[in-house]
Amino acid sequence: MTDMTLLLPILLPFFAGVLVLLVPRRFRAITEGLALTAVLLQLALTAGLFKKELVFSLPWLGWGLEFSLRLYHFSAFIILAVAGFGFLIALYSTVFMRQRPCLKQFYAYLLLNVSFTSGAVLADNLVVMLFFWEGLLLALFGMIAIASKAAFKTATKAFVIVGITDLCLMLGVALTGSLAGTLEMSRIHLSLDGWGSLGFILLMIGAISKAGAMPFHSWIPDAAVDAPLPFMALVPAALEKLLGIYLLARISLDMFALGADSPVSILLMAVGAVTILFAVMMALIQKDYKRLLSYHAVSQVGYMILGIGTAVPAGIVGGLFHMINHALYKSCLFLTGGAVEKQAGTTELAALGGIGSRMPVTFACFIVSAVAISGVPPLNGFFSKELVYDGALQRGWVFYGAAALGSFFTALSFLKLGHAAFLGKIEEKNKQVKEAPFSMLLPMLGIAFLCILFGVYNHLPLRALIQPIVGPYRLQGHDFAGLPENTLLVVITLIVLAAALASHLWAAKKKGSALKATDHIHYAPVLSGIYAKAEKRFFDPYDIGLKVAGYVAGAVFWCDRAIDWLYDGFTVNLAAALSHRIRRWHTGNYSTYLSWSLIGLIVVTIFLICSR
Amino acid sequence: MYAYLILIPFFSVIILNLPFRTTMKKAAFWACLVLLLAQMCLVVFSAIFPGCSFFDIFKTLFKLDFTADNLSRVLLFSIALILCVTLLVQKSILGDKERIFNFVNMLLIILVGMNGIVMVRDIFSLYVFLEITAVSSFILIGFNQDLDAFEAAFKYIILSVIATALMLSSIAIILLLAGDTSFSAIASTVRLSPHRLLISLAVGIFLCACFIKAGLMPFHGWLPDVYSAAPTSVSVLLAGIATKTVGVYTLIRIVNSVFVLDRSLQHLLLALGAVSMIAGALAALGQRDLKRMLAYSSISQVGYIVLGLGAATPLGLAGAIFHVFNHAVFKSLLFVDSAAVELETGTVQMDKLSGLAKRMPVTGFTSVLASLSCAGIPPLAGFWSKLIIVIALWASGHYAYAMLAVLASLLTLAYLLTMQRKIFFGKLGQDMAEIEEAGPVLMLPALILAVITVGVGLLFPFVSILLKGNLLGG
Repeated sequence: MTDMTLLLPILLPFFAGVLVLLVPRRFRAITEGLALTAVLLQLALTAGLFKKELVFSLPWLGWGLEFSLRLYHFSAFIILAVAGFGFLIALYSTVFMRQRPCLKQFYAYLLLNVSFTSGAVLADNLVVMLFFWEGLLLALFGMIAIASKAAFKTATKAFVIVGITDLCLMLGVALTGSLAGTLEMSRIHLSLDGWGSLGFILLMIGAISKAGAMPFHSWIPDAAVDAPLPFMALVPAALEKLLGIYLLARISLDMFALGADSPVSILLMAVGAVTILFAVMMALIQKDYKRLLSYHAVSQVGYMILGIGTAVPAGIVGGLFHMINHALYKSCLFLTGGAVEKQAGTTELAALGGIGSRMPVTFACFIVSAVAISGVPPLNGFFSKELVYDGALQRGWVFYGAAALGSFFTALSFLKLGHAAFLGKIEEKNKQVKEAPFSMLLPMLGIAFLCILFGVYNHLPLRALIQPIVGPYRLQGHDFAGLPENTLLVVITLIVLAAALASHLWAAKKKGSALKATDHIHYAPVLSGIYAKAEKRFFDPYDIGLKVAGYVAGAVFWCDRAIDWLYDGFTVNLAAALSHRIRRWHTGNYSTYLSWSLIGLIVVTIFLICSR
Repeated sequence: MYAYLILIPFFSVIILNLPFRTTMKKAAFWACLVLLLAQMCLVVFSAIFPGCSFFDIFKTLFKLDFTADNLSRVLLFSIALILCVTLLVQKSILGDKERIFNFVNMLLIILVGMNGIVMVRDIFSLYVFLEITAVSSFILIGFNQDLDAFEAAFKYIILSVIATALMLSSIAIILLLAGDTSFSAIASTVRLSPHRLLISLAVGIFLCACFIKAGLMPFHGWLPDVYSAAPTSVSVLLAGIATKTVGVYTLIRIVNSVFVLDRSLQHLLLALGAVSMIAGALAALGQRDLKRMLAYSSISQVGYIVLGLGAATPLGLAGAIFHVFNHAVFKSLLFVDSAAVELETGTVQMDKLSGLAKRMPVTGFTSVLASLSCAGIPPLAGFWSKLIIVIALWASGHYAYAMLAVLASLLTLAYLLTMQRKIFFGKLGQDMAEIEEAGPVLMLPALILAVITVGVGLLFPFVSILLKGNLLGG
């Protein structure tokens, strides 16, 4: 059944975005109203489409390519979430972005992001998905670049990194398409042998880099400082996680039968574990509210990748559940960061402190989401992390250990963040700080409520959203709603959290400041050296790439000089030398010329006589 | 009917020199010009209407062994064209009626010689016409009666005499073996004779004589001195057509219809051609005298022609003949331009000249065209003939020679552009502010030659049909 309504979730925000650009700059209210209306309509539309199964197909571009879209429970859920976040962030931005430049572009890019993400999620053809995927790259670049002059460099960095991984995705699409003989995602079923694994890994690179896993993460912390905050809350925290993990789930669950016996599964888990640990270690030492959050946005992806990579029911469900949970609490955290930035004028932790009493609602939202991200029961993060732990432990204690250790550091860093920003002694200049306006509080409150709801009543998300995606065949009769099955893991988690709290209290007391509560890890014997190098971007793949590119360019430059010399120096000098020599032989002496001729005659005659 | 091409100039010389020659003196220039134009028309006419029997009546009157195939026709046309140009150049350099009259006489004699060379089918007759051409060349070189020209003429005589002696020895050996001097008889003897050693000796000696006449390296010693010391009009004649007819045409004819072009001969031709092509271009690169540079350039271009011949395929032969024609056109054009420069500034030393294109636009423009054609830049005529030669070399498996041919093109471009930059481009020299363009009598042939080199290049598709039909098929 072909249904034109499927085009609406893509076209509505797209045309609204274009329209926003046309509104004259003076009518700021119209711009905001238009954007808000559009995302609200989008939200209503996607809510109406929820629980429906639709397909749309149109011949496209020739070569037998179909512009095919498919709405089913997974994609319907993702576009609903996208529209929801889009609406909340737009609402939040009406206050936050008010005094910023490039307001129109911001809303236009926001709407384009919503449009392209919906398109990429709805696409049932790999090429169509790629089309929207690349469109997102454009919107990403634009959204970072409009913030300031300094942000342009970060935007370029993001563009280059994402562009390179998109190239991998493109190759993966081509390889997968040629292996499967079709580009329709719902008809691709490949096994993970030789070329199949390569195709999977290429697609996976595209997916996990979109989600922001290591080593493709390095633009996110930079963007956290440079880009407008609603962008951080919307794109890297929510939309990109949803989209990246969506694709990862599609390729590992539907298109390739990722089994627990596959080496690719080990690879995925390793990427996940490494991402969790390294990113959280970096988050631990950050002294800036937004930058700290951005490293967690990287770290948490590790849990999702680890969960899906386990290829066991608990892990997959946990990974997907963590995807939506993370989108919720990380957006909320960024929004609290934005509220602090707006009201206190800074996000430097050293300049903050004690503002919790001045901004009680923001503080409350922060507590809910920070507790959720740390995995404290009974919030949503607790349940999804328990499921990931369960899956990881079934595959090997190393992965579980990494995940649990990551959890310890996560808790530690949020204790430090909350303590340093909201508690403690208030600075003199922060005494005037007031609570954020309502339209900023509303999105935070809404998301915080969802965090609690998805935790306390996790039957709702798990039974209605997550478990249908995994499917009854893969679930093998499990139902993960309710309390975790493995009590031992819960106990260990509680011990880890208690240890984190104890560690924080001890360190904060010893150092006399919440900000320095992680210094004992920062300046630990071996770690301090590594941290110093990491702070200098020694491990940033982008900077390494730039350095390598610089060396290559230098080598090419010298090759070029050498070739120039070959043409301009060597050849000319050789020709001149030869010419000079020949000229010197022509003395004008006739006996010389005669002897040449006679020698020539003798040689020619002898040659002819001998060779015939 | 082609016999008239020899008989009419021959009788013209006699008539011009009958006792009442004062009246003849006035008409000599025009008579010669008309004669040459008639020859061009005849060749073109007979090429377009091959079956025409209008002239057949005369065949019954004179029974001589003169025939013209398509190779000869190309040469006949080129000879008439270049002689026309020579005559016009001489006219504009030297207005004196008496001298012009003498010049016309010599020109008619050399016309007899060259027409004879391209039409005879007998090796001894070939020798006779070669001598006629050579002797009149000596006189023409020394025509201005200055010391350098005499020295150059003397050098030419000496090497030419050696070539003649070699040729006579070779003919003697051949006569000994074949008992006849006609091409067909010799050809069968060369193929069938049991005396391999003697045949090889005769072939080697004859070829060396041709090499000397054509100025291939290392037999070229006379050529730069002669071209630079001779009057410029004679340089046009010698570089454009005389040495090409005497040396290159003879070589092509002998190698193709008399001697067997086997592998060893092929290797010999390719090697000598490559040496001439490269060494000639390198030598040209270092010259400061314009005419001397053009002389070395001639050696280099002859190398191309011999390379095409050495490819030993119909395509290579066609390229070689086409290049003979193109070379006649662009090298004559360059010499005409050098004549204009010499006439107006009194020197051809490149270091003393600069920026002449501003004062002599036609000369500058035509010389650029000729240079580009010589270097093989599309779409000028020279490009196509060089391309054919390179393709023929490649197709026959001589990859190294094909590469060398392309490389030599770069060298050609290098020395010709250096020349252009020094003489015609750049800032006008202070002492040259009053220079004026040469007269119309000199610029007319330059323009005609330029039109030919551009036209043949642009209309190459038609030319290629002619080449295919006439040279390859014939």
